[in-house]
Amino acid sequence: MKRHPLATLLLTLVTVVVFVLLYGPIFIPIVTSFFTVKYGAVDWSQANLDAYAKLTENEGVIEAVENTLIVGLSAVAASLILGTVIALHCNSGKSRARSLLQFIVFMPFLMPPIITGLSLLIFFREVEIDRSMLTIIIGHTVFVLALVYRTILVRLQGIGFSMIEASYDLGASAPQTFFYVLLPNLKSALIGAGVLAFALSFDETMITILVTGTQNTLPIRLWAMMRLGFTPDINALVAIILALTTVLVLVAARYLIPKEFAGAEA
Amino acid sequence: MTADRIWHRLAVTAAYGLPVFFILLPLCGFLLYSLFWVQGTELHYDLTLVNYRRFFTEEIYIPVLRQTIVLCLEVAMLCIGFGYPVAYFLSSLKGRKKYTLLMLLLVPLLMSYIIKMYAIRSILGGNGFLNRTLIALGLIDQPLTFFVFNLNAVLLTLSVLLLPFAILPIFLSLERIPKNLLEASADLGGSNRQTFFRVILPLSLPGVISAAAFVFVLAIGDFLTPQMVGGQSGFTFGRVIYSQFGTAFNWPFGAALSVILVALVIVAIAVGTRFGGERARVR
Repeated sequence: MKRHPLATLLLTLVTVVVFVLLYGPIFIPIVTSFFTVKYGAVDWSQANLDAYAKLTENEGVIEAVENTLIVGLSAVAASLILGTVIALHCNSGKSRARSLLQFIVFMPFLMPPIITGLSLLIFFREVEIDRSMLTIIIGHTVFVLALVYRTILVRLQGIGFSMIEASYDLGASAPQTFFYVLLPNLKSALIGAGVLAFALSFDETMITILVTGTQNTLPIRLWAMMRLGFTPDINALVAIILALTTVLVLVAARYLIPKEFAGAEA
Repeated sequence: MTADRIWHRLAVTAAYGLPVFFILLPLCGFLLYSLFWVQGTELHYDLTLVNYRRFFTEEIYIPVLRQTIVLCLEVAMLCIGFGYPVAYFLSSLKGRKKYTLLMLLLVPLLMSYIIKMYAIRSILGGNGFLNRTLIALGLIDQPLTFFVFNLNAVLLTLSVLLLPFAILPIFLSLERIPKNLLEASADLGGSNRQTFFRVILPLSLPGVISAAAFVFVLAIGDFLTPQMVGGQSGFTFGRVIYSQFGTAFNWPFGAALSVILVALVIVAIAVGTRFGGERARVR
């Protein structure tokens, strides 16, 4: 059964348009970053790295990058540990408490970020935790936890109980079973989930903007810069961020894409 | 073994305690806050429905909410209008090409959201890329303004940002259609068009509905995009809520408005899961 050539043409056309729509907003700042921008117009005559040089003098941005890395790494560590503990517990049996716990973990993921952000904002105020890096880290951990938990749980279910029972039968203690049997099997899931969680945290804006105190993360800094108006170093920053994200995505894909797809490539 | 037991007890306590403390408790507190009230800058901790009454009686809130719902439905429709053909095209490809293209469509999701928003704004702007191209082509002589700093700009920007969320569920539902159904349709003399409208389209409808629910929920909760590209006229419900926590400084009223938003989101998710396909959990 062959598709009508006109239909194929039309479908291809729409797909091309969608690709342009999705990648246009990503490529335009990258390309522009290599040229001088003056009075809102781009000078295409000569490519240069001025914007990048300016960026290294922008202390606000450098501090924001540091903050983003601290928040991202802390949120990844916290969500991996908590996610593993919750996944181990939920995988160890069935009970109403377990399904309720799972529901709670998924809530920040299903609700719009503004709800998660505002509820934390009010909560921090009432329990008198000052807004700081810590509150941002908590916000991000809560946000990425569902994804991390889910990834680990799926892997645990894949491992099954027989291997764990075998370990106990052979006389291993619970910590031994965890470190020698479960952890090696979970490794790639943990790496994949960690990288994905980092990428989400790196770009998280809506929760952060609500729970941040005086500290800026990179998206918040960008938001502030862009509202004030344009500076050429934004484009340079954008190009660097996009390059970094691409690397992260590739790493995550390597660990998370199911084997069958990878097999199709071989 | 006692040390083991202590560790186990501790781990289980953390597994329940931390999510309850940092997710459930804030959400409950949030609900409670919507029942408090504010006088000047002072917060009163007694329960009242005054915030909800204000929402229903004051004349600005319901129209803004209605306008926002319409906007988000339009975003969902645009995303499906463009997403469906792409998903269909992808699912008709084979092997490696199919998944590489799918990956490429999803990658922009992880790219900085603020940057995309900003770039789209500079493309759409009065002096932006789009207007300049149109002028250079001689199609128009004055810059078009109907997509500059208004609701149309919000509509276009949100649609571009959320498109991948629409493509994935539709693609998954198309992939699940057994190939022998298509062969059966052809064997029974169905034309391509008949096969599409009578077999493929109805079977992929659950994916379309979950895509719509997905996009709707993400669009309605967004308060930064309207702020960035919406200008004065592009006011949405999310912006109204956000302003209660900033300039207006009425947290209980903001909380009440958010509870209404949550109710809407729950309806959308319920529709999505009831009529939609498998809940595709991606983000």
